[in-house]
Amino acid sequence: MAELRTEEFLVNMGPHHPSTHGVCRLILTMDGEKVVAIEPVIGYLHRAIEKICENRTYPQCTPLMDRFEYVTAMATEHVYALAVEKLAGLEVPERAEYLRVIMVELNRIASHLIFWGVTAMDVGAYTPFLYGLREREDIMDLFEITCGQRLTYNYIRIGGVSKDIPPEFVPKCREFVKMMWSKFSDYEGLLNGNPIFLGRMKDIGVLTPEAAIAYGASGPVLRASGVKYDVRRNDPYSVYDKFDFEIPTQPNGDCYDRFIQRLDEMKESLKIIEQALDNLPEGDIKCKVKPKLKPPEGEVYSRIESARGEMGVYIRSDGTTKPMRVKLRGSSYNHLMLVPEISTDVLIADVVAIFATLDIIMPEVDR
Amino acid sequence: MTRDELKEHILKKYDGLLTPLETGVFDLMCEVKPANLTKVARMLYDDEQLKFDFLNNIAGVDTGEQFEVVYSLSSISNNLRLDFKLVLSYDQAVIDSVKDIWTAADWHEREIWELYGIDINNHDNLKRFLLPDDWDQGYPMRKDWDAPDFVRMPEL
Amino acid sequence: MISPVFAVGELDGLFRWLNELLVSIGLPQPWQDVIMYAALSATVFGLLALIALFLVWWERKIAAHIQQRFGPMRVGWHGWYQTVMDALKLLQKEDIRVATRDKVVFFWAPVICFVAAFSAYVCMPFGRGLIVADLNIGILYIMAVTTFTVISLLMAGWGSNNKYALLGGMRSAAQVISYEVPMVVSLLAVILYVGSLSMVDIVESQSGWFNWFIFRVPFGPIAFVTYTVAAIAEANRTPFDIPEAEQELVAGYNVEYSGMKFAMFFLAEFINMFTVSAIAATVFLGGWNGPWLPSWVWFMGKTLSMVFLLMLVRWTYPRLRVDQLMEFAWKFLVPVTFANLILAGILKYLGYWE
Repeated sequence: MAELRTEEFLVNMGPHHPSTHGVCRLILTMDGEKVVAIEPVIGYLHRAIEKICENRTYPQCTPLMDRFEYVTAMATEHVYALAVEKLAGLEVPERAEYLRVIMVELNRIASHLIFWGVTAMDVGAYTPFLYGLREREDIMDLFEITCGQRLTYNYIRIGGVSKDIPPEFVPKCREFVKMMWSKFSDYEGLLNGNPIFLGRMKDIGVLTPEAAIAYGASGPVLRASGVKYDVRRNDPYSVYDKFDFEIPTQPNGDCYDRFIQRLDEMKESLKIIEQALDNLPEGDIKCKVKPKLKPPEGEVYSRIESARGEMGVYIRSDGTTKPMRVKLRGSSYNHLMLVPEISTDVLIADVVAIFATLDIIMPEVDR
Repeated sequence: MTRDELKEHILKKYDGLLTPLETGVFDLMCEVKPANLTKVARMLYDDEQLKFDFLNNIAGVDTGEQFEVVYSLSSISNNLRLDFKLVLSYDQAVIDSVKDIWTAADWHEREIWELYGIDINNHDNLKRFLLPDDWDQGYPMRKDWDAPDFVRMPEL
Repeated sequence: MISPVFAVGELDGLFRWLNELLVSIGLPQPWQDVIMYAALSATVFGLLALIALFLVWWERKIAAHIQQRFGPMRVGWHGWYQTVMDALKLLQKEDIRVATRDKVVFFWAPVICFVAAFSAYVCMPFGRGLIVADLNIGILYIMAVTTFTVISLLMAGWGSNNKYALLGGMRSAAQVISYEVPMVVSLLAVILYVGSLSMVDIVESQSGWFNWFIFRVPFGPIAFVTYTVAAIAEANRTPFDIPEAEQELVAGYNVEYSGMKFAMFFLAEFINMFTVSAIAATVFLGGWNGPWLPSWVWFMGKTLSMVFLLMLVRWTYPRLRVDQLMEFAWKFLVPVTFANLILAGILKYLGYWE
């Protein structure tokens, strides 16, 4: 009788796979159910945004930024606007900055709600996804009455915002914040203590603080590993130094901590929105920007804290109306690098959980 | 440490290695000679007063005359920011990998290799990933590269 | 040959009339039997097809209402014939066959799955006297034929020549075989008490007030719970739906199937869910026993309540991982069910609940 042996085999997870959140392809080397090696293959959503930006004027690039990371499009517009304002030395009115903060924080909550639902769905619980989208719908409505769009807003422009908020925005937003506070008991009660859920998430994909820093992980992923670092606090931009909010961290850095971390961050965002609504100043919503904006020669790397982590944009100006180079830095790019690192000795189901809790969004990786 | 203190520290300790430039609008921007890259990177990482342990970004730039590679660094423990860049001529477009110091450099360097054609020394993972596997039309992020059906936008 | 039961019951008048008709026109005895069995099978088959279609619609409505949606609303009142339309659509679809498939295995897998799901109903007591054949090994027969499903899933996984399908097939084989053990052992506790494998005997031993096995504390409720858990796994449903775990294996064993072949797997899954619920209703909840209402109403009511429970579980819980699933079966369920079997034996010896 021939000797019995097992053989490793390759599985192509993606580019069209329900749990890769877009078009990522993971080449899994499997030994039965065990995953031996992972190699991420990206580029299926590469739209050459950086190259296109080099052929657009500065204001014309803003709509492209919406497409860079469409789940938190407000944040991408914000980071781009901040970078160009730094380059051109523009002074943005305070009301515009407050409006930006409100919008970005609302968008962060919307993004975390999607994360919450999708992660639950990726470990097999279908129902939370719909609950998450239900509250997100209210945020989308708020955006719609402000700028007419629900996904790609083109709201935060260079020098300010495109429109002032309508009069009904503030009461509606307060109503939403109040409603949202009451929903956390639902979110926490649905999954947090569920033994099946704990079994799937606890001690899976543990990310040590050292590895997190070395791989450039940022945002909730970094903080879930216990590193208290938030660009909003450590390198304040816009008017974030005027708000009082906590930076939650978690001790273990496993999938469960990353899941809880985002729930905690939603609460902090709500606090920021409340304070911003209370202190919303009157005044202009944009400063005067020439349509043929020509920033002086120079270069800037501007960064903000988006829902997924540090989002940066490097802009090099050569004194003309078009940027010489726009480099976008998405946090998912670094987080995708982490997937092979923290997926050691796991099963295929754990890869799905790890991928989901890192909250990787493919447009941000491929650009 | 403020930006000026950082500049002073760098002028004192990294004399000749890091040269502060005026082009950095917001954070301090320095220039590094390509030959000194790994040495400077290791020093910045190990320096107790700076400890730049977090690599934010690496951006390749084609200015039309030369290549530049811009590194953006942060220090998590000391809460600092610093940018530095390398200037490379077209015919000597090769840099050393800093992957050993900041693991995050892995894909960023791979991307520069793929889109600009800048060679990376000591990098074990140089494979195509943003472009198709059978791509043979050159390096798309270079200034002299245009897509076949590309129409330049008229100047305003 | 086992003859059909035509003794008593509410709905078998039609069959009695058919039997008398066959006798009156003077057909020879073997032909009478063949026609009678054909008529009975057709009735059960039609009924089950309707039940499967209804369950698909019901599941979609329950899922929708749990998720604060409406679900199908357009086709008929609250979309009541949506699944009929879906089945028609699937009938018209192109039957995509992968070029690298194993032709024989790929073709027969959905057929075996479908047949295995339906053959369990040969000895399912739908009501007093409403049973195709009261086999004296009834429950053993049901357990045996429903296990055929796993062979078809393995065949589908292998025949598709797809790694996701293969993983799904392997998972389902491991899972169904593991959960078969606690499932049968928890039923054994009841069988031990009844002293018969016949479904009719099991039901009749539960007639009277609080005589259902679920009320026979302590072994009855324990057996019921372990049976329900194992039955959810047996029917491949969340939290034990790893063979077709959508987020991991896309669709598992049926990933390469389309059109009517897919529909056969799909309907068989719902029939299986109905089967395990019907067994639970028969063995633990007293089957057709119940006051005032006709017996078949009691049976359907109890079975559909079990189905409802299964659906609630499915739309509430996350999915277990494959190793956790195996650990749960072998390290928890199997010891508990065996201990319960011994407990039931001791209680019977001591004469409790006789």
